[in-house]
Amino acid sequence: MTGTTGDTLATLGRLSPAVREALRTECARLADEDDAEFGVRLLAGTPTHEGRDPALLRRWATAATEFGAGLTGRARLPQPRVVERTGGIERLLLARYVSRPAPAVELFTDTLALGEELVDLLGWRGWYPAGALRAAAMAHEDAHRLLHDDAALKRALRERLGHTALRFGRFRIAAHVAGADELAAHGYAAARRGLGRSPLLLTAALASAVRALAQD
Amino acid sequence: MGIVIILLMLAGVGLMLTRKLPTAFALVLLAVAIAAVVGAPLTGENSIVDTVLQEGAVAQAATMLAVLIGSWMGKLMAETGIASTLVRKIVEFGGDRPTVVALGVLAVSALIGTVTGSAPAAMMAGIIGIPAMVAVGVPKTTAAGTILMGIAAGMPFELPIWQFFSTTLDLPVDTVRGFMLKLFPFAAAFAVLFVLVETRRKGVEHAWSLAAPAHDRRRDRARQLGDAPWYALLAPLVPLVLALGFELAIIPSMLAGVLYALVTTTRPREMNKRLLRTLYRAFDIAAPPIALFVAIGILLAAVTLPGAVEALNPLVTAVSPGHPVVFVVVFALLTPLCLYRGPLNVFGLGAGIAGVLISAGIYPAVAVLGLTASYNQVFGVADPTSTQTVWAAQYSGVSPQQVMVRTLPYVWCVALGGLIVTAATQL
Repeated sequence: MTGTTGDTLATLGRLSPAVREALRTECARLADEDDAEFGVRLLAGTPTHEGRDPALLRRWATAATEFGAGLTGRARLPQPRVVERTGGIERLLLARYVSRPAPAVELFTDTLALGEELVDLLGWRGWYPAGALRAAAMAHEDAHRLLHDDAALKRALRERLGHTALRFGRFRIAAHVAGADELAAHGYAAARRGLGRSPLLLTAALASAVRALAQD
Repeated sequence: MGIVIILLMLAGVGLMLTRKLPTAFALVLLAVAIAAVVGAPLTGENSIVDTVLQEGAVAQAATMLAVLIGSWMGKLMAETGIASTLVRKIVEFGGDRPTVVALGVLAVSALIGTVTGSAPAAMMAGIIGIPAMVAVGVPKTTAAGTILMGIAAGMPFELPIWQFFSTTLDLPVDTVRGFMLKLFPFAAAFAVLFVLVETRRKGVEHAWSLAAPAHDRRRDRARQLGDAPWYALLAPLVPLVLALGFELAIIPSMLAGVLYALVTTTRPREMNKRLLRTLYRAFDIAAPPIALFVAIGILLAAVTLPGAVEALNPLVTAVSPGHPVVFVVVFALLTPLCLYRGPLNVFGLGAGIAGVLISAGIYPAVAVLGLTASYNQVFGVADPTSTQTVWAAQYSGVSPQQVMVRTLPYVWCVALGGLIVTAATQL
């Protein structure tokens, strides 16, 4: 276990019993939701989807997640440069892919450590094995690299979602669905790392944990 | 006496920079002080009360009305979903190519920038445009800069700005329009260059974030309204086509835009209510610039008093470059003085300096137009104290200073272009 993890354990350990119990209850409620619902929420909160039918968002969320899961059979990308940072909890970041100056994946070790501890606290190890969050973060950013580098893949995602920007007789331009690539990346990460539940569930639980830490 | 006025101006800048006084109050105080030291009588001709305060306060009335109508149209475009639909369509068409989306948002921002300016324009384009750009991988500082550069690209066609320069510099609107047409290619070219260079230089970013989607009242409102019809999206072009193409006066052109936005989006029985509601809300938006225009009018009246002109003439003549090349070099180097509410900010003390330059006969009014309009392109984008820059930066999650550093080289070039055009054609 790294020093950072130890620090974070101490941080979560500082939660009062009442706040910890409230966090457990909140996360149990999150776990009762089905995975697609988290996708719907992500899309609903993404600009350009104001006023969209929730059923349509659910269809898009499911299609994008499945599309991402289907990418696991593709050839592996070369290992990117990995940069480990702290300060993720403060900035509410778990990982980040940057394409310049050179493609790199930034992993926020404090957030990852908090995630691991949270999984233990909530008894979610069956869904998220030890070290799975870091691996999922790498896979998630791999998916962004795949989509970023491959125009045909991006086109295929648009076609899978079936949203139309412009139709003129038989001529049709498939519309970009903002947020779909993020869901595809989560779908890819879950499938690639064999997670029992969507990474979005753990993301929501982590957000609750950070709020609890801030309140306590 | 000229030195005393300069010292008073420096004190005014100090008050504004240190935020001891709001800009508008500082300008009024400065105006009264200048009038007093040049020996203006309390009442009567060229006096403090009748000339500086009374005539000066209403000197910019046409500009104030144009700003109010611009805000009204902006409010209408926001409430009817015209602005959000424009941005949404851009994202849907160009979505997985960050540069295309940023260029699209830039174009929409420019269109909105022709209608209204400042923070309301940034909000109209940015509320959806900024998170939409970030969602497709555009880095946050680039996203904020894109909105601001877009608005600035539209600024040469912002009709209230035409009215402002026309009134302030006592120039016909035709002359203002003529210069703005020459300035526009620089503003547009460097705005496009900003997007192309910065999206390439900074690449894309995708974050696995814990942040819950932000709830915004405007977005909730857009949720209720849905998309505006395609023909309503032409609304921002209506005033522009009328004023530029048909040379119609500014206020009627803008009123026509308001009417077009209304009739293309609103059921007849709801028109009266919506028109009044958006007009009243526009007063809130327009209040800060209107207060500033009252103060600018007062300051201009003070610095153009005969006593002030007489006192400042030798000083300003001594330091103002006459040779076109020196004019360009000196004023290009002084460009940063329009930042942080500095002395060359045309919506502050810069208006007073412009008044001095004209009334003292240092430069022809049209050259002062070139100078101030060029500086305005810098102030409108890169000033970390201007409301649109602060809003766009904070909404993107970066600091206004980061936006300033990223955008300043581009807008400095725009100003340089404007100064070169001015020197080549007017000196």
